[in-house]
Amino acid sequence: MAHTSLHFVTVADAAQMIAAKKLSPVELTEAYLDRIDALDSQLNSFVTVTADRARQDAKAAEAAIMASGPRGKLHGIPYCLKDIFDTAGIRTTAHSKLLADNVPTRDAACGEKLTQAGAVLLGKTATWEFAHGGPSWDILFPPARNPWNTDHSPAGSSSGSGAAVAAGLAPATMGSDTGGSIRGPAAANGIAGLKPTYGLVSRRGVIPNCFSHDHAGPLAWTCEDLALLMRVVAGYDPEDPGSANVAPPDFEAALTGDVKGLVIGVPWRWLEEEVPLTPPTRAAFDAALGVYKALGAEVREVSLPPMQYYEDAKKVIAIAELFSIHQEDLRTRPHLFGASLRSRIIAGGLVRAESYVQAMRARTDLARAMQAVMATVDVLMLPTAEPAGKLAPPEPGWLFTKSGLTTAFNVGGNPALSICSGFAENGLPFSLQIVGKLFDDANVLRVGDAYEKATPWRERRPALAARATA
Amino acid sequence: MSETTMSREDIVLLARHAGLDLPPEYFDELVEAYGMVQRMVARLPTSRPRGDEPAHVFNPMTFMPREG
Repeated sequence: MAHTSLHFVTVADAAQMIAAKKLSPVELTEAYLDRIDALDSQLNSFVTVTADRARQDAKAAEAAIMASGPRGKLHGIPYCLKDIFDTAGIRTTAHSKLLADNVPTRDAACGEKLTQAGAVLLGKTATWEFAHGGPSWDILFPPARNPWNTDHSPAGSSSGSGAAVAAGLAPATMGSDTGGSIRGPAAANGIAGLKPTYGLVSRRGVIPNCFSHDHAGPLAWTCEDLALLMRVVAGYDPEDPGSANVAPPDFEAALTGDVKGLVIGVPWRWLEEEVPLTPPTRAAFDAALGVYKALGAEVREVSLPPMQYYEDAKKVIAIAELFSIHQEDLRTRPHLFGASLRSRIIAGGLVRAESYVQAMRARTDLARAMQAVMATVDVLMLPTAEPAGKLAPPEPGWLFTKSGLTTAFNVGGNPALSICSGFAENGLPFSLQIVGKLFDDANVLRVGDAYEKATPWRERRPALAARATA
Repeated sequence: MSETTMSREDIVLLARHAGLDLPPEYFDELVEAYGMVQRMVARLPTSRPRGDEPAHVFNPMTFMPREG
């Protein structure tokens, strides 16, 4: 197979080589298309590969760059989109039988911005059904697999996006996060994923999960690459009612590498009593804090309301909104839903309006409490999740009964980043979650970038080999 | 009657009222899920000052005419 190393080049490095005319977007795109062709049958990370479009985009980028240089760092860079981002003329299925033939006529806002930046669309990636039900085996396509060990889960719901970036099938992708669906796959696949501040990245054209908690955001190999993506996709969109009318910061300029004097808050009660960490995950987290202390940061304990309160508020709001979004299909053709999604949303039709409002009142209290704690520190840190378990059907009721380490920051709306913080004995990645003040996304990326540059984890990639064909 | 102790028949009525005419196997999903949802609902604080506003109050800035 040609181009054996190009597929592991970061966006930042590829941009440099393209600008220096040492790398052609066409060559880079072909490297990814070759690798998708050779390996994705083991991962199921792509549901639609847009090879013709990619080659067309790449050729156009090459010609433009040769004529007058790149228009920005994403010019000629391949990327993929979670299959809930509308793509004009390209099926957008949300991994559901209900949308098997859905072909939007307009790109999602993020896709429009990436196209304007000259990026090259490789295809659409696997997701849990409607970014909420999964992993599922009874829907339109099989679930994605973890490239570090294909018997293991890539987490969800941005499962294909996470797997594709880790495996070197794409250097960059957009996902969505309503309770952890960017950060969970970033953690499971050992990559970087940012849930931005609510409203910083337009959700126009992203099939909704829960309006009140949905965030669109990037996943890539490094925080530097996330900064390059955010430069393009962040910004006010009057067509998104949740869009924040704030000027995005200079994400790249923020990556100074300096975290001296950084004050890190850790919600130890969550990690020791509510969702106790396993000893290996605790050890990895302690080690990550040790890296920051060595870089000059200070760590202190913080106290947040019980995680259960955040989970209850989020889930009552979510199920009511999810039911409203899917009500027509639930009433007329419930058999076309996967069992996992249907069971997670059907009770939303029985939630009383009063309960929804009380959950929203609780959200006000909880978001205020989050920001009061954030005012005392620069960032919070905690693991994102335990290393990925085996890929298996979820336990019934899991989503309703289990607490995780990510949901609270959807309730608060804060920027939350997941990065790789090492590897377990079985080779699956550990993860570190970094949470910032509202609209302090650039600082969150700075903090993550400093850690990545001080540790060796970005040098390790999953070892996947093409299977011999008969 | 506590909402967490509703009978299956009560849930049938609620589902019908919600326009959900479900086959038996899907109805079992609903009963199981509803029980879990109601436990979450029961944990939400409800005794609070009248003036406590929910997080989704109307913001007219969203509906301002666009410039240009």
